[in-house]
Amino acid sequence: MRYLVTIADRSFDIEVDGERVVVGGVEHTATLLDGTGTPVRNLLLDGSSWIVPMEPAGRGRWTVMRRGERFDVEVIDERTRHIRSLVGEGKGTAGPATLKAPMPGLVVRVLVAPGQTVAAGQPLLVLEAMKMENELKAPGQGVIAQVLVQPGQATEKGAPLVTFATPE
Amino acid sequence: MTIQRVLVANRGEIALRIIRACHEEGLEAVAVYSDADRSAPYVRAADLAVHLGPAPAAQSYLVIDKLVAAARSSGAQAIHPGFGFLSERAPFARAVEEAGLVFVGPPASAIEAMGDKTEARRRMEAAGVPVVPGAMAAVSDPAVAASLADSLGYPVLVKAAAGGGGKGMRVVREAADLAPALVSAASEAQKAFGDPAVYLEKFIERPRHVEIQILADGRRTIHLGERECSVQRRHQKLLEEAPSVAVTPALRERMGAAAVAAAKAVGYRSAGTCEFLLAADGSFYFLEMNTRIQVEHPVTELVYGVDLVREQLRIARGLEMSVADGPLVPRGWAIECRITSEDPANGFLPSTGRIAFLRAPAGPGVRWDSGVETGDEVTLYYDSMLAKLIVHGASRAAAIGRMERALRELVVVGVATNQPFHLRLLADQAFREGAIDIQFLERRPDLVAGAPDPVVLERLAIAAALAEDERRRAQKPAISGEPAARRTSAWRDQARREGLR
Repeated sequence: MRYLVTIADRSFDIEVDGERVVVGGVEHTATLLDGTGTPVRNLLLDGSSWIVPMEPAGRGRWTVMRRGERFDVEVIDERTRHIRSLVGEGKGTAGPATLKAPMPGLVVRVLVAPGQTVAAGQPLLVLEAMKMENELKAPGQGVIAQVLVQPGQATEKGAPLVTFATPE
Repeated sequence: MTIQRVLVANRGEIALRIIRACHEEGLEAVAVYSDADRSAPYVRAADLAVHLGPAPAAQSYLVIDKLVAAARSSGAQAIHPGFGFLSERAPFARAVEEAGLVFVGPPASAIEAMGDKTEARRRMEAAGVPVVPGAMAAVSDPAVAASLADSLGYPVLVKAAAGGGGKGMRVVREAADLAPALVSAASEAQKAFGDPAVYLEKFIERPRHVEIQILADGRRTIHLGERECSVQRRHQKLLEEAPSVAVTPALRERMGAAAVAAAKAVGYRSAGTCEFLLAADGSFYFLEMNTRIQVEHPVTELVYGVDLVREQLRIARGLEMSVADGPLVPRGWAIECRITSEDPANGFLPSTGRIAFLRAPAGPGVRWDSGVETGDEVTLYYDSMLAKLIVHGASRAAAIGRMERALRELVVVGVATNQPFHLRLLADQAFREGAIDIQFLERRPDLVAGAPDPVVLERLAIAAALAEDERRRAQKPAISGEPAARRTSAWRDQARREGLR
């Protein structure tokens, strides 16, 4: 089976046929040992031994680790890839940009108001987590459309905090 | 009073560390826990456990009355406060003393004297200990603060009067930034310590953070050399080592003598630490005294062959410290990496979740002091430090090599940790040469964030492709592998044929 594997914005064309693995036209011998009840698997690639902790993260998705670095990996087959190219999935998201909570926490201070123009890197609000205050900054220049939280409010990871006006 | 049972008024890694010391000293240990910590490893390790209350520390680990009541109900004769939480709160030490219990730490009066940073500076100056130039009184009025800052000269440092651990601290490089820094530092100080008071001092450029370990038993007050903790991010220490590349035996004796004088000036007893800024020219300035056991105490233990927590327990029992009299010399080199649930790839933001799997490093010269195990939940209620990885080697280079090996063995699945950061740091040329100071990481965002290695990415991609291929092959028979007719039973086929007759 031939797969398109995407990891950290890089894509690899990988064909798997038993222990024979072809990556971008180069042939390798590879086996992946079972974690024997743990997520820690062992990749033997052309005789090199690699410890690779990994966990399934939904259909065709894996969270793969290497010495503490975590990567979200997507593995799709040729058919899925073809369908996606026809549908044009994943291209251009409509709607206003949103600042989302990067972690669960408590909103300590809101530093901006709707209608305000902010510069890239300007602090927008302060979120407290694990006893530390974390300043969340504007990802780019823009105009604040809505502030969706207020001081004292607890937020979940990924919760929208501030939306930016869509440029005219 | 004879101490047979010690209540550990803390949680996580340090609670387990203290419980282990109690057991080695032949004492029983009582754990306390909030709703979030019922299943924590330190609770299992204790002989008795007392429930304190809800998960937020303000309703559990910070409630003096609950802790004293827990000690009474569990029959403990002493309370060890650990670090953080109430460890440097004089009212806690006093409440323990007034309840007729032994506080495993300094007298309340010493905590009080060192806890008020402005008062501590006055005392240190009087004792001949060098201090950083700065304003001695707490400031809240922005205009007063501005004129103080002008007289000190920028940059200045805004610090919480009741502080520690980098909370409520701000470096201000120009006058325009002073007022907002006062507000945010005071707010953080209020939250962390329940006291919004802040003060100003001269900010010394590129100093090293070097601290001296003190041990005092009421008879002798000695120092156990230095630890260097210059690798910090936002004033949080990340890696500590003992000894320091910047400290010669002669400087060690001078700094050690200053620290001993500081401890004696406040009538100190138990283990404590004097923190100094060490400038490039060898001059040093007293920052503060931490009147408790510190996170990084193990590096001192490894190079001096001393168990500081057991010594604390001995001293609390009225015994002499077991450290021999006479000159002490550090043996080899020790390094500690704080393993925190902070994601370096995501601006060091806290990462929470269930630890799906944990494999601790082992082997020669490796010590793993952890508060978590496989299956534990990492919540936002408490500090992000999961564990401490400590190694000892014959030299600094040997210790670095050993730490790299140990870090490569560590596997944490489920939450992101700062493990990749430590590996980048240890491989860095400047770090290896010991060319570090407390602003080192500010100048090196490349070490903090890092970039994935393309070779590694390709191998991980291959592993993921193999895993996905395996998953699909395993699922096939159940989903789409066989035509529907083949899944019907032979008995039904037979019945159909009968029916067609």
